Amino acid sequence: MAGLQLLSEYGLRVDGRRPNELRQIRCKMGVFSQPDGSAYLEQGNTKVLAAVYGPHEVRLNRSKTHHDRAYINCQFSMAVFSTSERKRRPRGDRKSQEMDMNLNQIFESAIRTELYPRSRIDIYLEVLQADGSNFSACVNAATLALIDAGIPLKDYVCSCTSTLAPSQGGAPPTPMVDVNHVEETLGGPGLSMSTLPRLDSVVHLELSGTRLHLSHIDPVAEKAATGAADIMAVLDKAVRGHVAQCLHAREVSGQGADA
Amino acid sequence: MSVHIKTIHPMKYMRDFLARNIRPDGRKLSEVRPTAINVGSISTADGSALVKIGNTVVICGIKAELTVPNAENPNEGFVIPNVELPPLCSPQFKSGPPGETAQVSSQFLADILVNSKCVDLQSLCIMPDKLAWVLYCDLICLDHDGSVLDACVAALVSALCTVTLPEVKFDAITKNKTVELEKRRPLTLTCFPFASTFATFDENSILADPSEEEESLCSGTISIVTSGDSLYSVHKPGGCQLSENRLSECISKAQKRSLTLRGMVEKSMESIKS
Repeated sequence: MAGLQLLSEYGLRVDGRRPNELRQIRCKMGVFSQPDGSAYLEQGNTKVLAAVYGPHEVRLNRSKTHHDRAYINCQFSMAVFSTSERKRRPRGDRKSQEMDMNLNQIFESAIRTELYPRSRIDIYLEVLQADGSNFSACVNAATLALIDAGIPLKDYVCSCTSTLAPSQGGAPPTPMVDVNHVEETLGGPGLSMSTLPRLDSVVHLELSGTRLHLSHIDPVAEKAATGAADIMAVLDKAVRGHVAQCLHAREVSGQGADA
Repeated sequence: MSVHIKTIHPMKYMRDFLARNIRPDGRKLSEVRPTAINVGSISTADGSALVKIGNTVVICGIKAELTVPNAENPNEGFVIPNVELPPLCSPQFKSGPPGETAQVSSQFLADILVNSKCVDLQSLCIMPDKLAWVLYCDLICLDHDGSVLDACVAALVSALCTVTLPEVKFDAITKNKTVELEKRRPLTLTCFPFASTFATFDENSILADPSEEEESLCSGTISIVTSGDSLYSVHKPGGCQLSENRLSECISKAQKRSLTLRGMVEKSMESIKS
Protein backbone atom coordinates (compact mmCIF):
# COMPACT_ATOMS: atom_id res chain seq x y z
CA MET A 1 0.00 0.00 0.00
CA ALA A 2 2.69 2.48 -0.97
CA GLY A 3 1.55 6.04 -1.06
CA LEU A 4 -1.47 5.52 1.23
CA GLN A 5 -1.30 8.31 3.74
CA LEU A 6 -2.92 8.09 7.11
CA LEU A 7 -3.75 11.77 6.99
CA SER A 8 -4.49 13.51 3.71
CA GLU A 9 -3.52 17.10 2.99
CA TYR A 10 -7.06 18.19 3.95
CA GLY A 11 -6.61 16.64 7.37
CA LEU A 12 -8.87 13.65 6.66
CA ARG A 13 -8.11 10.06 7.56
CA VAL A 14 -8.47 7.03 5.27
CA ASP A 15 -12.16 6.65 6.15
CA GLY A 16 -12.94 10.36 5.99
CA ARG A 17 -12.83 11.13 9.69
CA ARG A 18 -10.98 13.95 11.41
CA PRO A 19 -8.14 12.99 13.80
CA ASN A 20 -10.22 13.45 16.94
CA GLU A 21 -13.43 11.85 15.66
CA LEU A 22 -14.66 8.51 16.96
CA ARG A 23 -16.38 5.99 14.68
CA GLN A 24 -20.11 5.54 14.96
CA ILE A 25 -20.97 3.42 17.99
CA ARG A 26 -24.15 1.35 18.04
CA CYS A 27 -24.93 -0.83 21.01
CA LYS A 28 -27.72 -2.96 22.36
CA MET A 29 -28.05 -4.60 25.76
CA GLY A 30 -29.91 -7.73 26.76
CA VAL A 31 -29.69 -9.34 23.34
CA PHE A 32 -29.59 -12.99 24.45
CA SER A 33 -31.78 -15.08 26.72
CA GLN A 34 -29.33 -17.64 28.15
CA PRO A 35 -26.59 -15.45 29.68
CA ASP A 36 -27.26 -13.37 32.78
CA GLY A 37 -26.11 -10.28 30.93
CA SER A 38 -25.33 -9.68 27.27
CA ALA A 39 -24.49 -6.82 24.95
CA TYR A 40 -23.76 -6.21 21.28
CA LEU A 41 -21.50 -3.32 20.30
CA GLU A 42 -20.46 -1.93 16.94
CA GLN A 43 -17.62 0.56 16.66
CA GLY A 44 -17.61 1.45 12.99
CA ASN A 45 -17.28 -1.95 11.28
CA THR A 46 -15.91 -3.77 14.33
CA LYS A 47 -18.74 -5.94 15.69
CA VAL A 48 -18.40 -7.50 19.14
CA LEU A 49 -20.67 -9.60 21.36
CA ALA A 50 -20.29 -9.96 25.11
CA ALA A 51 -22.03 -12.46 27.40
CA VAL A 52 -21.75 -12.57 31.19
CA TYR A 53 -22.63 -15.55 33.38
CA GLY A 54 -22.60 -15.03 37.08
CA PRO A 55 -21.98 -14.60 39.83
CA HIS A 56 -22.25 -18.36 40.30
CA GLU A 57 -20.68 -21.23 42.17
CA VAL A 58 -17.18 -22.36 41.24
CA ARG A 59 -17.60 -25.94 40.00
CA LEU A 60 -14.46 -27.45 38.61
CA ASN A 61 -11.30 -25.74 39.82
CA ARG A 62 -12.01 -25.31 43.50
CA SER A 63 -8.41 -24.20 43.89
CA LYS A 64 -9.28 -20.99 42.05
CA THR A 65 -11.85 -19.94 44.66
CA HIS A 66 -10.93 -16.86 46.64
CA HIS A 67 -12.34 -16.75 50.15
CA ASP A 68 -12.86 -13.01 50.12
CA ARG A 69 -13.72 -12.09 46.53
CA ALA A 70 -15.09 -13.35 43.24
CA TYR A 71 -12.95 -15.09 40.65
CA ILE A 72 -13.21 -13.44 37.23
CA ASN A 73 -12.75 -15.48 34.08
CA CYS A 74 -12.64 -13.71 30.72
CA GLN A 75 -12.44 -15.42 27.39
CA PHE A 76 -11.67 -13.50 24.24
CA SER A 77 -12.44 -15.22 20.96
CA MET A 78 -12.40 -14.03 17.36
CA ALA A 79 -14.79 -15.70 14.95
CA VAL A 80 -13.01 -17.57 12.20
CA PHE A 81 -14.63 -15.36 9.57
CA SER A 82 -13.99 -12.08 11.37
CA THR A 83 -10.78 -11.14 9.61
CA SER A 84 -10.08 -10.83 5.90
CA GLU A 85 -7.82 -13.90 6.06
CA ARG A 86 -9.56 -16.87 7.68
CA LYS A 87 -8.36 -17.10 11.27
CA ARG A 88 -7.04 -20.56 12.03
CA ARG A 89 -7.17 -20.48 15.83
CA PRO A 90 -10.04 -18.47 17.26
CA ARG A 91 -8.73 -18.78 20.81
CA GLY A 92 -5.92 -20.43 22.72
CA ASP A 93 -3.08 -18.89 20.77
CA ARG A 94 -0.66 -16.63 22.60
CA LYS A 95 -2.16 -13.33 21.53
CA SER A 96 -5.63 -14.38 22.69
CA GLN A 97 -4.28 -15.68 25.98
CA GLU A 98 -2.53 -12.37 26.55
CA MET A 99 -5.81 -10.56 25.87
CA ASP A 100 -7.64 -12.91 28.25
CA MET A 101 -5.16 -12.05 30.97
CA ASN A 102 -5.44 -8.31 30.31
CA LEU A 103 -9.22 -8.49 30.41
CA ASN A 104 -9.12 -10.48 33.65
CA GLN A 105 -6.97 -7.84 35.27
CA ILE A 106 -9.06 -4.93 33.98
CA PHE A 107 -12.30 -6.35 35.28
CA GLU A 108 -10.84 -7.56 38.54
CA SER A 109 -10.05 -3.95 39.31
CA ALA A 110 -13.37 -2.59 38.06
CA ILE A 111 -15.88 -5.08 39.46
CA ARG A 112 -16.73 -4.90 43.16
CA THR A 113 -15.51 -8.44 43.67
CA GLU A 114 -15.50 -8.18 47.47
CA LEU A 115 -19.30 -8.48 47.34
CA TYR A 116 -19.21 -12.04 45.99
CA PRO A 117 -16.72 -14.19 47.90
CA ARG A 118 -16.21 -17.76 46.71
CA SER A 119 -18.06 -17.13 43.45
CA ARG A 120 -17.15 -16.90 39.82
CA ILE A 121 -18.07 -14.43 37.11
CA ASP A 122 -17.54 -15.52 33.48
CA ILE A 123 -17.23 -12.95 30.71
CA TYR A 124 -17.22 -14.27 27.13
CA LEU A 125 -16.37 -12.05 24.21
CA GLU A 126 -16.81 -12.89 20.56
CA VAL A 127 -15.55 -10.65 17.78
CA LEU A 128 -17.78 -11.18 14.74
CA GLN A 129 -16.07 -8.68 12.46
CA ALA A 130 -12.64 -7.19 13.15
CA ASP A 131 -11.94 -3.73 11.78
CA GLY A 132 -9.43 -2.30 14.25
CA SER A 133 -9.59 -1.47 17.99
CA ASN A 134 -10.87 -5.00 18.66
CA PHE A 135 -9.62 -5.06 22.24
CA SER A 136 -11.13 -1.68 23.05
CA ALA A 137 -14.48 -2.65 21.56
CA CYS A 138 -14.41 -5.84 23.65
CA VAL A 139 -13.81 -3.93 26.88
CA ASN A 140 -16.68 -1.55 26.09
CA ALA A 141 -19.02 -4.43 25.22
CA ALA A 142 -18.05 -6.31 28.38
CA THR A 143 -18.87 -3.23 30.50
CA LEU A 144 -22.35 -3.08 29.00
CA ALA A 145 -22.89 -6.81 29.50
CA LEU A 146 -21.81 -6.56 33.16
CA ILE A 147 -24.24 -3.71 33.70
CA ASP A 148 -26.97 -5.77 32.01
CA ALA A 149 -26.19 -8.65 34.38
CA GLY A 150 -26.56 -6.33 37.36
CA ILE A 151 -23.01 -6.82 38.62
CA PRO A 152 -21.84 -3.77 40.59
CA LEU A 153 -18.94 -1.88 39.02
CA LYS A 154 -16.85 0.94 40.44
CA ASP A 155 -17.37 2.89 37.21
CA TYR A 156 -17.84 2.35 33.48
CA VAL A 157 -14.72 0.81 31.95
CA CYS A 158 -14.17 2.61 28.67
CA SER A 159 -11.40 1.82 26.26
CA CYS A 160 -9.96 3.53 23.23
CA THR A 161 -6.97 3.02 20.94
CA SER A 162 -5.05 5.94 19.51
CA THR A 163 -2.12 6.27 17.16
CA LEU A 164 0.24 8.88 15.79
CA ALA A 165 0.20 9.83 12.13
CA PRO A 166 3.76 10.53 10.93
CA SER A 167 4.61 14.13 10.24
CA GLN A 168 4.16 15.20 6.67
CA GLY A 169 5.07 18.40 4.91
CA GLY A 170 6.74 19.90 7.97
CA ALA A 171 3.60 19.65 10.14
CA PRO A 172 4.13 17.97 13.53
CA PRO A 173 2.87 14.37 13.86
CA THR A 174 -0.85 14.29 14.67
CA PRO A 175 -2.36 11.93 17.22
CA MET A 176 -5.53 10.18 15.99
CA VAL A 177 -8.22 8.51 18.05
CA ASP A 178 -10.10 5.20 17.49
CA VAL A 179 -8.00 3.41 14.91
CA ASN A 180 -9.46 1.17 12.24
CA HIS A 181 -7.83 -1.88 10.64
CA VAL A 182 -5.94 0.03 7.95
CA GLU A 183 -4.44 2.46 10.46
CA GLU A 184 -3.50 -0.41 12.80
CA THR A 185 -1.67 -2.43 10.19
CA LEU A 186 0.09 0.43 8.44
CA GLY A 187 2.76 0.26 11.09
CA GLY A 188 2.35 3.19 13.42
CA PRO A 189 2.33 2.94 17.21
CA GLY A 190 -0.97 1.89 18.78
CA LEU A 191 -1.73 3.02 22.32
CA SER A 192 -4.64 1.15 23.87
CA MET A 193 -5.97 2.68 27.05
CA SER A 194 -8.81 1.55 29.34
CA THR A 195 -9.97 4.01 31.95
CA LEU A 196 -12.55 4.53 34.65
CA PRO A 197 -13.51 8.00 33.35
CA ARG A 198 -15.37 9.40 36.34
CA LEU A 199 -12.72 8.25 38.79
CA ASP A 200 -10.11 9.62 36.41
CA SER A 201 -8.02 6.46 36.62
CA VAL A 202 -6.32 4.25 34.08
CA VAL A 203 -6.81 0.49 34.50
CA HIS A 204 -4.92 -0.70 31.44
CA LEU A 205 -2.39 0.81 29.08
CA GLU A 206 -0.66 -0.98 26.25
CA LEU A 207 1.63 0.29 23.52
CA SER A 208 2.09 -1.91 20.46
CA GLY A 209 3.40 -1.46 16.95
CA THR A 210 6.41 0.78 16.44
CA ARG A 211 8.17 2.88 19.02
CA LEU A 212 6.88 6.20 20.26
CA HIS A 213 9.14 9.10 21.13
CA LEU A 214 8.76 10.24 24.76
CA SER A 215 7.73 13.73 23.74
CA HIS A 216 4.76 12.29 21.86
CA ILE A 217 3.46 10.06 24.62
CA ASP A 218 1.46 12.78 26.37
CA PRO A 219 -0.59 13.98 23.38
CA VAL A 220 -1.34 10.40 22.24
CA ALA A 221 -2.32 9.25 25.74
CA GLU A 222 -4.45 12.33 26.24
CA LYS A 223 -6.23 11.63 22.95
CA ALA A 224 -6.98 8.09 24.08
CA ALA A 225 -8.24 9.28 27.48
CA THR A 226 -10.53 11.87 25.85
CA GLY A 227 -11.75 9.21 23.43
CA ALA A 228 -12.58 6.92 26.34
CA ALA A 229 -14.49 9.71 28.10
CA ASP A 230 -16.48 10.36 24.91
CA ILE A 231 -17.24 6.66 24.64
CA MET A 232 -18.49 6.73 28.24
CA ALA A 233 -21.08 9.33 27.25
CA VAL A 234 -22.35 7.01 24.51
CA LEU A 235 -22.44 3.94 26.79
CA ASP A 236 -24.16 5.89 29.57
CA LYS A 237 -26.87 7.05 27.20
CA ALA A 238 -27.40 3.47 25.98
CA VAL A 239 -27.65 2.12 29.53
CA ARG A 240 -30.16 4.75 30.60
CA GLY A 241 -32.21 4.16 27.47
CA HIS A 242 -32.23 0.40 28.07
CA VAL A 243 -33.27 0.76 31.71
CA ALA A 244 -36.07 3.19 30.78
CA GLN A 245 -37.30 0.67 28.21
CA CYS A 246 -37.24 -2.19 30.74
CA LEU A 247 -39.15 -0.16 33.30
CA HIS A 248 -41.71 0.83 30.72
CA ALA A 249 -42.17 -2.80 29.66
CA ARG A 250 -42.69 -3.83 33.28
CA GLU A 251 -45.27 -1.12 33.84
CA VAL A 252 -47.14 -2.05 30.71
CA SER A 253 -47.27 -5.74 31.64
CA GLY A 254 -48.57 -4.79 35.08
CA GLN A 255 -45.79 -6.34 37.14
CA GLY A 256 -45.06 -4.61 40.40
CA ALA A 257 -42.22 -5.69 42.70
CA ASP A 258 -41.83 -9.34 41.83
CA ALA A 259 -41.04 -12.07 44.38
CA MET B 1 -46.11 -20.39 42.88
CA SER B 2 -45.97 -21.80 39.37
CA VAL B 3 -42.27 -20.96 39.28
CA HIS B 4 -41.70 -23.22 42.30
CA ILE B 5 -43.58 -26.18 40.83
CA LYS B 6 -41.52 -25.76 37.66
CA THR B 7 -38.29 -26.09 39.64
CA ILE B 8 -39.33 -28.97 41.91
CA HIS B 9 -41.50 -31.09 39.58
CA PRO B 10 -40.55 -30.13 36.04
CA MET B 11 -42.17 -33.22 34.52
CA LYS B 12 -45.48 -32.68 36.32
CA TYR B 13 -45.42 -29.03 35.28
CA MET B 14 -44.92 -30.07 31.66
CA ARG B 15 -47.56 -32.84 31.77
CA ASP B 16 -50.17 -30.51 33.23
CA PHE B 17 -49.73 -28.21 30.26
CA LEU B 18 -49.71 -30.99 27.68
CA ALA B 19 -52.92 -32.44 29.14
CA ARG B 20 -54.58 -29.24 27.95
CA ASN B 21 -52.85 -29.39 24.57
CA ILE B 22 -50.72 -26.34 25.13
CA ARG B 23 -47.07 -25.72 25.97
CA PRO B 24 -45.60 -23.68 28.86
CA ASP B 25 -44.67 -20.80 26.56
CA GLY B 26 -48.21 -20.64 25.20
CA ARG B 27 -47.64 -22.32 21.86
CA LYS B 28 -49.82 -25.10 20.44
CA LEU B 29 -48.12 -28.46 20.05
CA SER B 30 -47.30 -28.04 16.38
CA GLU B 31 -46.57 -24.33 16.40
CA VAL B 32 -43.04 -23.17 15.62
CA ARG B 33 -41.43 -20.09 17.12
CA PRO B 34 -41.10 -16.86 15.12
CA THR B 35 -38.15 -17.10 12.74
CA ALA B 36 -35.99 -14.29 11.37
CA ILE B 37 -33.25 -14.56 8.74
CA ASN B 38 -30.72 -11.82 8.06
CA VAL B 39 -28.11 -12.23 5.32
CA GLY B 40 -24.88 -10.51 4.38
CA SER B 41 -24.12 -8.81 7.70
CA ILE B 42 -20.45 -9.79 7.97
CA SER B 43 -18.51 -8.01 5.26
CA THR B 44 -15.18 -9.75 5.98
CA ALA B 45 -16.76 -13.10 5.08
CA ASP B 46 -17.56 -14.15 1.51
CA GLY B 47 -21.07 -15.10 2.57
CA SER B 48 -22.87 -14.79 5.89
CA ALA B 49 -26.27 -15.26 7.47
CA LEU B 50 -27.82 -14.90 10.91
CA VAL B 51 -30.85 -17.04 11.82
CA LYS B 52 -33.03 -16.50 14.88
CA ILE B 53 -35.63 -19.13 15.79
CA GLY B 54 -37.35 -17.91 18.96
CA ASN B 55 -34.38 -17.25 21.25
CA THR B 56 -31.95 -19.56 19.45
CA VAL B 57 -29.45 -17.56 17.40
CA VAL B 58 -26.90 -19.04 15.00
CA ILE B 59 -24.55 -17.07 12.76
CA CYS B 60 -22.79 -18.60 9.76
CA GLY B 61 -19.77 -17.12 8.00
CA ILE B 62 -18.29 -18.59 4.84
CA LYS B 63 -14.72 -17.99 3.73
CA ALA B 64 -13.50 -19.22 0.34
CA GLU B 65 -9.90 -20.29 -0.15
CA LEU B 66 -7.98 -21.91 -2.98
CA THR B 67 -6.60 -25.40 -2.70
CA VAL B 68 -5.58 -28.48 -4.68
CA PRO B 69 -8.35 -31.04 -5.25
CA ASN B 70 -8.17 -34.59 -3.91
CA ALA B 71 -6.66 -37.24 -6.11
CA GLU B 72 -9.85 -39.37 -5.85
CA ASN B 73 -12.12 -36.50 -6.96
CA PRO B 74 -9.99 -34.28 -9.19
CA ASN B 75 -12.92 -32.19 -10.51
CA GLU B 76 -14.46 -31.35 -7.20
CA GLY B 77 -14.02 -28.55 -4.71
CA PHE B 78 -14.86 -28.82 -1.02
CA VAL B 79 -17.48 -27.45 1.36
CA ILE B 80 -16.46 -27.92 4.99
CA PRO B 81 -18.99 -27.04 7.71
CA ASN B 82 -17.93 -26.55 11.31
CA VAL B 83 -20.30 -25.90 14.20
CA GLU B 84 -19.09 -24.17 17.33
CA LEU B 85 -21.08 -24.21 20.57
CA PRO B 86 -19.13 -21.74 22.70
CA PRO B 87 -19.71 -21.29 26.44
CA LEU B 88 -21.31 -17.94 25.69
CA CYS B 89 -24.39 -19.58 24.22
CA SER B 90 -25.37 -21.66 27.22
CA PRO B 91 -24.13 -22.54 30.71
CA GLN B 92 -24.00 -26.22 29.76
CA PHE B 93 -20.95 -25.78 27.49
CA LYS B 94 -17.40 -25.33 28.72
CA SER B 95 -14.52 -23.70 26.91
CA GLY B 96 -11.98 -25.97 25.28
CA PRO B 97 -11.91 -28.25 22.25
CA PRO B 98 -15.24 -28.95 20.47
CA GLY B 99 -17.47 -31.19 22.58
CA GLU B 100 -19.58 -34.12 21.43
CA THR B 101 -22.66 -32.07 20.53
CA ALA B 102 -20.65 -29.70 18.36
CA GLN B 103 -18.87 -32.50 16.53
CA VAL B 104 -22.10 -34.42 15.94
CA SER B 105 -23.76 -31.27 14.58
CA SER B 106 -20.82 -30.59 12.25
CA GLN B 107 -21.00 -34.14 10.90
CA PHE B 108 -24.78 -33.86 10.53
CA LEU B 109 -24.37 -30.76 8.36
CA ALA B 110 -21.62 -32.40 6.30
CA ASP B 111 -23.90 -35.40 5.68
CA ILE B 112 -26.76 -33.15 4.57
CA LEU B 113 -24.51 -31.36 2.11
CA VAL B 114 -23.42 -34.69 0.63
CA ASN B 115 -26.92 -36.23 0.57
CA SER B 116 -28.67 -33.25 -0.92
CA LYS B 117 -25.88 -32.24 -3.31
CA CYS B 118 -27.11 -28.70 -2.79
CA VAL B 119 -23.75 -27.29 -3.82
CA ASP B 120 -22.46 -28.70 -7.09
CA LEU B 121 -18.88 -29.50 -6.12
CA GLN B 122 -17.78 -29.55 -9.75
CA SER B 123 -18.71 -25.88 -10.09
CA LEU B 124 -16.14 -25.18 -7.38
CA CYS B 125 -13.34 -26.67 -9.43
CA ILE B 126 -11.28 -24.15 -11.42
CA MET B 127 -8.86 -26.52 -13.08
CA PRO B 128 -9.18 -30.32 -12.58
CA ASP B 129 -6.43 -31.78 -10.46
CA LYS B 130 -4.76 -28.38 -10.00
CA LEU B 131 -6.97 -25.75 -8.41
CA ALA B 132 -10.34 -25.69 -6.69
CA TRP B 133 -12.29 -23.64 -4.18
CA VAL B 134 -12.79 -24.79 -0.63
CA LEU B 135 -15.65 -23.13 1.24
CA TYR B 136 -15.10 -23.12 4.99
CA CYS B 137 -18.54 -22.68 6.57
CA ASP B 138 -18.18 -21.74 10.22
CA LEU B 139 -21.31 -21.66 12.33
CA ILE B 140 -21.33 -20.17 15.78
CA CYS B 141 -24.31 -20.62 18.07
CA LEU B 142 -24.75 -17.37 19.97
CA ASP B 143 -27.76 -18.32 22.08
CA HIS B 144 -28.89 -21.90 22.71
CA ASP B 145 -32.60 -22.29 23.33
CA GLY B 146 -33.35 -25.59 21.61
CA SER B 147 -33.61 -26.64 17.95
CA VAL B 148 -30.03 -25.65 17.24
CA LEU B 149 -29.86 -28.05 14.29
CA ASP B 150 -32.76 -26.28 12.61
CA ALA B 151 -31.07 -22.91 13.00
CA CYS B 152 -27.70 -24.31 11.82
CA VAL B 153 -29.10 -25.81 8.62
CA ALA B 154 -31.07 -22.65 7.85
CA ALA B 155 -28.03 -20.44 8.49
CA LEU B 156 -25.81 -22.65 6.33
CA VAL B 157 -28.22 -22.65 3.39
CA SER B 158 -28.88 -18.90 3.65
CA ALA B 159 -25.17 -18.10 3.83
CA LEU B 160 -24.44 -20.35 0.82
CA CYS B 161 -27.03 -18.35 -1.13
CA THR B 162 -25.07 -15.17 -0.52
CA VAL B 163 -21.62 -16.50 -1.44
CA THR B 164 -19.98 -14.83 -4.44
CA LEU B 165 -16.72 -16.21 -5.79
CA PRO B 166 -14.19 -14.09 -7.68
CA GLU B 167 -12.98 -15.07 -11.14
CA VAL B 168 -9.71 -16.98 -11.09
CA LYS B 169 -7.47 -17.52 -14.09
CA PHE B 170 -4.95 -20.30 -13.75
CA ASP B 171 -2.12 -20.84 -16.14
CA ALA B 172 -1.17 -24.54 -15.98
CA ILE B 173 2.25 -24.02 -17.45
CA THR B 174 3.55 -21.18 -15.31
CA LYS B 175 1.35 -22.22 -12.31
CA ASN B 176 0.34 -18.58 -12.04
CA LYS B 177 -3.00 -17.70 -10.48
CA THR B 178 -4.65 -14.35 -11.04
CA VAL B 179 -7.63 -13.60 -8.87
CA GLU B 180 -9.92 -10.80 -9.99
CA LEU B 181 -11.64 -9.70 -6.81
CA GLU B 182 -13.98 -7.30 -8.57
CA LYS B 183 -15.62 -9.80 -10.92
CA ARG B 184 -17.73 -12.04 -8.74
CA ARG B 185 -20.16 -14.74 -9.71
CA PRO B 186 -22.74 -16.01 -7.24
CA LEU B 187 -22.83 -19.62 -6.15
CA THR B 188 -25.92 -21.48 -7.42
CA LEU B 189 -27.59 -24.01 -5.18
CA THR B 190 -29.46 -26.97 -6.65
CA CYS B 191 -31.83 -27.30 -3.71
CA PHE B 192 -32.65 -25.71 -0.36
CA PRO B 193 -32.76 -28.25 2.45
CA PHE B 194 -34.14 -27.15 5.81
CA ALA B 195 -34.34 -29.06 9.06
CA SER B 196 -37.26 -29.37 11.47
CA THR B 197 -36.84 -30.83 14.91
CA PHE B 198 -39.63 -32.48 16.89
CA ALA B 199 -39.52 -33.67 20.50
CA THR B 200 -41.45 -36.75 21.60
CA PHE B 201 -42.92 -36.68 25.03
CA ASP B 202 -44.47 -39.61 26.89
CA GLU B 203 -45.19 -41.49 23.62
CA ASN B 204 -48.29 -39.36 23.07
CA SER B 205 -47.31 -35.82 22.34
CA ILE B 206 -45.05 -34.58 19.60
CA LEU B 207 -43.83 -31.01 20.05
CA ALA B 208 -42.58 -29.10 17.04
CA ASP B 209 -39.54 -26.83 17.45
CA PRO B 210 -38.76 -27.63 21.11
CA SER B 211 -37.16 -25.02 23.33
CA GLU B 212 -34.21 -25.84 25.57
CA GLU B 213 -36.30 -26.77 28.62
CA GLU B 214 -38.59 -28.94 26.51
CA GLU B 215 -35.58 -30.69 24.96
CA SER B 216 -34.17 -31.47 28.40
CA LEU B 217 -37.46 -33.04 29.57
CA CYS B 218 -38.45 -34.94 26.45
CA SER B 219 -37.84 -38.62 25.89
CA GLY B 220 -36.36 -38.20 22.42
CA THR B 221 -36.00 -35.89 19.47
CA ILE B 222 -36.25 -36.41 15.75
CA SER B 223 -34.82 -34.08 13.10
CA ILE B 224 -36.10 -34.23 9.54
CA VAL B 225 -34.28 -32.50 6.71
CA THR B 226 -36.33 -31.86 3.64
CA SER B 227 -36.93 -29.38 0.88
CA GLY B 228 -40.44 -29.04 -0.55
CA ASP B 229 -40.46 -32.30 -2.46
CA SER B 230 -37.47 -34.39 -1.38
CA LEU B 231 -36.47 -35.92 1.91
CA TYR B 232 -32.75 -35.75 2.65
CA SER B 233 -32.27 -36.97 6.16
CA VAL B 234 -34.13 -38.32 9.16
CA HIS B 235 -32.10 -38.23 12.36
CA LYS B 236 -33.62 -40.01 15.32
CA PRO B 237 -30.97 -40.75 17.94
CA GLY B 238 -32.72 -43.32 20.13
CA GLY B 239 -35.64 -42.00 22.13
CA CYS B 240 -39.06 -43.57 22.47
CA GLN B 241 -40.91 -45.43 19.72
CA LEU B 242 -42.69 -43.53 17.02
CA SER B 243 -45.43 -45.10 14.90
CA GLU B 244 -45.32 -44.81 11.13
CA ASN B 245 -48.37 -42.53 11.07
CA ARG B 246 -46.73 -40.12 13.47
CA LEU B 247 -43.55 -40.18 11.45
CA SER B 248 -45.39 -39.31 8.21
CA GLU B 249 -47.19 -36.50 10.02
CA CYS B 250 -43.84 -35.09 11.12
CA ILE B 251 -42.42 -35.37 7.62
CA SER B 252 -45.31 -33.47 6.06
CA LYS B 253 -45.07 -30.74 8.73
CA ALA B 254 -41.35 -30.52 8.03
CA GLN B 255 -41.99 -30.13 4.32
CA LYS B 256 -44.42 -27.26 4.87
CA ARG B 257 -41.95 -25.56 7.18
CA SER B 258 -39.10 -25.86 4.72
CA LEU B 259 -41.19 -24.15 2.04
CA THR B 260 -41.92 -21.26 4.41
CA LEU B 261 -38.25 -20.98 5.30
CA ARG B 262 -37.27 -21.01 1.65
CA GLY B 263 -39.64 -18.10 1.05
CA MET B 264 -38.01 -16.20 3.89
CA VAL B 265 -34.51 -16.78 2.53
CA GLU B 266 -35.54 -15.59 -0.91
CA LYS B 267 -37.13 -12.49 0.56
CA SER B 268 -33.99 -11.60 2.50
CA MET B 269 -31.88 -12.15 -0.63
CA GLU B 270 -34.12 -9.68 -2.49
CA SER B 271 -33.71 -7.12 0.26
CA ILE B 272 -29.93 -7.11 -0.02
CA LYS B 273 -29.98 -6.93 -3.79
CA SER B 274 -32.13 -3.81 -3.78
